[in-house]
Parts: sequence; structure tokens; C-alpha cells
Amino acid sequence: MSFELLHAAADSNRWAAILPEVSLGCLALLLLVLEMVLPRAAHRAIPVVAIAGQTVLLALLLASFCCASGACGIGAYLGTETFNGLLLHTRDGQFMRVFFLLTSLLVSVLGVVSLGRRQLPRVEFFSIVLVIGGALMLLAQSNHFVMLFVALETVTVGFYILVSYFRTSALSLEAGLKYLITGALSSGLLLFGIVLLYGVSGNPLLIGSTDNGMHFGELRGFLAANPDNFLASLGIVLVLSGVCFKIGAFPFQIWVPDVYQGAPTPVTAYLAVGSKAAGFAILLILVHTAFAPYAGLVIPVLTVLAALTLVFGNLAALTQHNVKRLIGLSGVSHAGFLLLGVVASLHSTAAIGAVQFYLGGYLLASFAVFGVMTLLARADGADADAIQELDDYAGLAKTQPFLALVLVIGLGSLAGIPPLVGFMGKLFIFISAFQAELYGLLAVAVLGVVVSIYYYFGWVRAALFGEPDGASKTASADRAAAPVAAKAAALVAAEPASQPAPSWSIEFEEDTPLQNKGGSAAGVCVCTPVKWALGLLAAAVVFFGFYQGALGDWLLSR
Amino acid sequence: MLDTLFTVFATFALLFALGAVLSPNAINAALCFLLCLVSVAGIFVLLEAYLLAVLLVLVYAGAVVALFLFIIMLLDLKQVSAWKFRGISALAGVVGAGLLVAGVLAVATRGQLDSLPAAMIPALGADLKAYAHALFTTYLLPVQVMGFLLLAAMLGVIVLSKKFIAQGEAPAASPALDSQPATQAAQK
Repeated sequence: MSFELLHAAADSNRWAAILPEVSLGCLALLLLVLEMVLPRAAHRAIPVVAIAGQTVLLALLLASFCCASGACGIGAYLGTETFNGLLLHTRDGQFMRVFFLLTSLLVSVLGVVSLGRRQLPRVEFFSIVLVIGGALMLLAQSNHFVMLFVALETVTVGFYILVSYFRTSALSLEAGLKYLITGALSSGLLLFGIVLLYGVSGNPLLIGSTDNGMHFGELRGFLAANPDNFLASLGIVLVLSGVCFKIGAFPFQIWVPDVYQGAPTPVTAYLAVGSKAAGFAILLILVHTAFAPYAGLVIPVLTVLAALTLVFGNLAALTQHNVKRLIGLSGVSHAGFLLLGVVASLHSTAAIGAVQFYLGGYLLASFAVFGVMTLLARADGADADAIQELDDYAGLAKTQPFLALVLVIGLGSLAGIPPLVGFMGKLFIFISAFQAELYGLLAVAVLGVVVSIYYYFGWVRAALFGEPDGASKTASADRAAAPVAAKAAALVAAEPASQPAPSWSIEFEEDTPLQNKGGSAAGVCVCTPVKWALGLLAAAVVFFGFYQGALGDWLLSR
Repeated sequence: MLDTLFTVFATFALLFALGAVLSPNAINAALCFLLCLVSVAGIFVLLEAYLLAVLLVLVYAGAVVALFLFIIMLLDLKQVSAWKFRGISALAGVVGAGLLVAGVLAVATRGQLDSLPAAMIPALGADLKAYAHALFTTYLLPVQVMGFLLLAAMLGVIVLSKKFIAQGEAPAASPALDSQPATQAAQK
């Protein structure tokens, strides 16, 4: 192989175009190196390095976004293919990049809280979170099945580990095993679909055959030339099934409740937001580029899936008492709303913006809720993180008014209550569905909203009006003498001069002295900034509900 | 000649795959899996994908299955109680098998492709040099990402299996209470 040929092929490997991803990878390595180099006493600083690094990256990414929308930095690659067509840098990709970076940043913040209360290895958690974040960002820009599959597998392997990270908890290990098996099945389906598409598009006897059938553009050309190929249809359906596992759409949602419950709360948040958004990013890319000529097949499949997902997610969430299962199954219904948006986007591409806006709102509201859950989760017992019941939230408004407010704002936004961002997201999706004349699906979705208000407000009712004392009778924990909300309140309020800490705190200290040694030390330094961050999230939920401004224009104009 | 060989290899692959799934003895199952892989490697040779065949035997048969056998012998698993189908799982099995047969039939009838004239078959997968070239130019980025995948997997092994007693600021007494069952299991 001559030098020139090598040079030409390597020429399109523009590492500058994926600088944020490369930096995330380097940051992940840096954390591991720091753990080796720094003395034990300084290990507490490593998560701070992770969070600070991601914050700086996020700021730089946003800055390179805003500056003159092009000329400098990453903007210069917009609309071009790099890495021999493996990546295509689009506007949607840029949005998803910021989205995933913000997600991994927030997961790291929650991870500090959650791991601070347990005796578990810390640095590896942040390192894996960063690797997943980088892979998610690459996934959102992939333009080639090889890139897509490799990035998706990196994400999935990272999640296998994170889900079973609380390995002393049997529920966490069970969740890890279930996620491993269903994840392997979904990867298998996806891979089988890809192979069928690659094989059939490489058949020289068919018109428009290509020897690069993994590339979305080439595949689209082939599919356009062969509009009714059976093997290609089969491949498309299999690929869609594999993606639907990630987003938790109806027949493929089977893993959601158990895995969401067993996984550590920050990881549940990562799964609910990051993994789901990744599924939708891939879905949007696929149906708008590679599978566009087969819209006649894709639209009915996705329509049926959306309707079933909406119905199932909302009905299944009605009966849940464990908050993590509840939020997992309500996440299934959110996947239904998003699928509705994807179907609408196949009729007019403006709906892509609506889907992205919905995802953004879902990110803010979900992390507000998950943040409160993480702060309130107990750490006294191996399974405590997985057993968070609705009753545990009884009387939260009295013990922790600020967290209760954040929780109510987050849940209200998830339910779609008018002044909040979740309402605007649903409204945009409904408008685009209406314009696409999807009246049947729209009716199902509106009914879904009504049902979802019921179960979200069951939670809100527990937090606002429940009596702290009544909960202790039903709390299933082994040594929970007092309601958990109050206990955790003491944990959160362990810092000086925040709330007038009630007598709970003393009782708590007597109750679980072991835990308090490890827990409150971290709690003191960590809880205030995290509460500030949660307050910011809640403020953003309210703010973007009232005023979409430049972001709304940018998303919805196309 | 080629067709006969293909039939032979394909039959062996199917039979050994069935054996791997159905065998109640874990060691037998692993060995059946090994033979299934060798048969598939034979099919790759018939397709002139020599490199794939060699890699399959080296990586899977050589390393992965050997590892399986080590672990099975280490854990001293003798007889796994046979899986009993009853009630809903039998029904699900029948439905699944029916769907599978329907799918295979559909592909065999509707998705059939004409066989290519020999000259048109692209000679892919025979050449180590072509693979290496593609890996270091076209697919450089996925190879790098793969490196991070393996890193994450390695971290996972450490996190999920290592005893965490020497975790710095941890008070020595409390973690032992929670982690004892896990560490004991690991020590076995």
C-alpha cells in the first residue's frame, strides 16, 4: 500500500471535529491516572475534577456553538462528513452533543451524592460515566452502521457495569444480569438487521448495489432503487426492534421496571435520560437518512409501537408504589410521546425540533426528580437504594420544603402541567402531530396525559399532604423506625444552619451510627451545591416553560 | 463437492448448537459450542473467508471456550438440573418456535436470492493486508472507541469483583458488614 493512498484515506480523519469526545475520553483516563498518582487523602478531589472538566467542556462547546455559527472550531465541520463518512456533523448532532454532555455532567453530580454515602470504589464510576458520555456523543453523529454499533456497544457495556455497581445489593446485581441478557438480545437483533441490509445491498444482481452498504447515504441510494425488497424490509424491522429496546417501546420494555429499580439512582437517571435519548437520536437519524425510502414500512410500524407504548406505559405506571419503578414505567409512556413526534417528523421534518425540545425538557425535569430521589435515598442497608416507596415521601413538604418544591416542579413538568417546560414539549409534539393529521394517535396520547397526571399527582400528594408519622407503619425497610423522608431530611440537613433540624436528626444518629460516619462527612460538603444545582434545574424547567426564546426558534425553525 | 461439504458443516453446526443448548452437563455444552464454532469456521473456509475462519478458531475456540472450560471446572459444576417446561413458558416456547419457523420460511421463499456468477463474487475477507489497511485508515475511529470499550469492561471487572476493603477513608468496620457475602463468594 503506497504512502499516498494511506495519506489520502487518513486525511479525512479530522480529530479536531470530535474534540469534545476526545477530551471526554482523555478526562476519563486522567481520572484513572490521578487515582494512581495522588495520595489517598486527595482522592476526594477526583470527582471534583470530573465535574469541573465536564463543566468547562460544556461551556466551551456552547461557546463554539454561539460564536458566529460556523467559522471557528467545531462549527466549521457542520454539514460535512469526516472519518471517511463514519460521522456526519449536523445541527441535530450538535444539539444531542450538548444534551449528552449535560446528562453525563448531571449524572456525575448525582454520583458524588450517592457514592459519598457508600463504601464503594468511586473513581471508576466517574470514568465509566465519562466514557459512556463520549460514546453517546459519537452515536448521535454516526453516519455508518459500524460507527453506530461500536458506539452503541460502548454505551451498553458501560451500562452493564453501572447498573450492577451497588454490588452488595442483590437487586442491583439482578438488574445488571437482566440488563446484560436483554441488552445482548437487542444487540443481536440490531446486528442481524444490519447484516441483512449490508448483504442485500451488496448483491451485484440488484439495481443500485453498493459495496459500502453500511454507509447511511449509500444504503439510502440502494433502498430508493429497490423499493419493495423483502430482505431489506426484514433488516429494517430488525434494526428498528434493536433500537426500540434502547428506548423502551412497548413490546421491548420488559427490562425497564426491574433494571430501573435495581440500578443505583444516578444510573437510573442516566438510563432514563441518556440511553433513551440515544435511542431517539439513532431513530431520527435512521428514519430520515437510511430508511427514508421505506417510509411506507416505517410509518405503520412506528405508529403501532407509539400507540401500544403510550397505552402500556401509562396503565402499568398506575399500579406502582416503588418510585423507581413508577418513573421507569412513566418513562415508557414518555417514549410513546416521543415516538409520536418521530412519526410526525416523517410527515414534516419540523417535528424533529419538537422531539428535541421534548427531550431537553425531559432532561431538566427528570434530573430534578432524580436529584431529589438521590438526596433522599437511604444508605442503611444493601438494598436501600432500590426500595424507595411512595410512602417514604410522606410529609416531605414539612421536613424539606425546598426539595419538595423541586420535586413538585419536576413531576409537574413530567406530567405536562401548563406553565412548565414539559407542557410546552407535549404541546409542540401535539401540534406537529395535528399538522401531520395523526388524529388517532393524538387521541391516545391525550388520554395518556390524563392518566399520567393521576399517577404523578399521587406522588405529589404524598410529598405535599402526607403525614410523616403515618409512613412508618408501611415502610418496608428493616430498621426504619422513622419515616425515611424525615431520616433523609436529617441527612441532608446535617450541614449547619440550613433548616431547624428537628429531633429526627438525633434519633437518626443513634439509629445508624455506622452510616453516619461515612455519610454525613460527605453530606456536609456535597449537599448544599447539589441542592443549588437542583434549584437551578427547577428554575430552568419553569423558565423554558414560559419563554423558549432563541433555543425554541433554533430548534423549531427548519 | 462444495455443496456436500456445506451440507456437512451446516448440519454439524446445527447439531452441536442444539447440543450446547440442551446438554445438562456444562462441560459437554461448552465442548459442543466449541465444535459448533469449528463447523462455522469450516463454512467460512468454503466461502474463501480464510482470515475469518482462522480468527474464529483462534479467538473463540482457542481463547474463549478454553476460558469457559476453566471456569466451569473451577466452579466444579457437574450436573445442572434439566430445564422443565410448564405452563406459560411452554406456551411461549411454542409460540416463539412457530414465529421462528414462519420467519425462516418467509426468508427462504420470499427473500431468496439468485446465486451469483462466480466472477462477480467480491473476494472480500481473504486478505489480512486489506483488513489491516481498513482498520488503520477507514475504521480508525471505531478501533479507538473499541479501546475505550475494553477499558470500561476492564474497570467493570475490577469494580464488580475486587474486594473493596482498602478504600482509603473508609472506616474499616462498616463495609465489611455489607460486603461479606460478596467477598466470600469471590474467594470461593
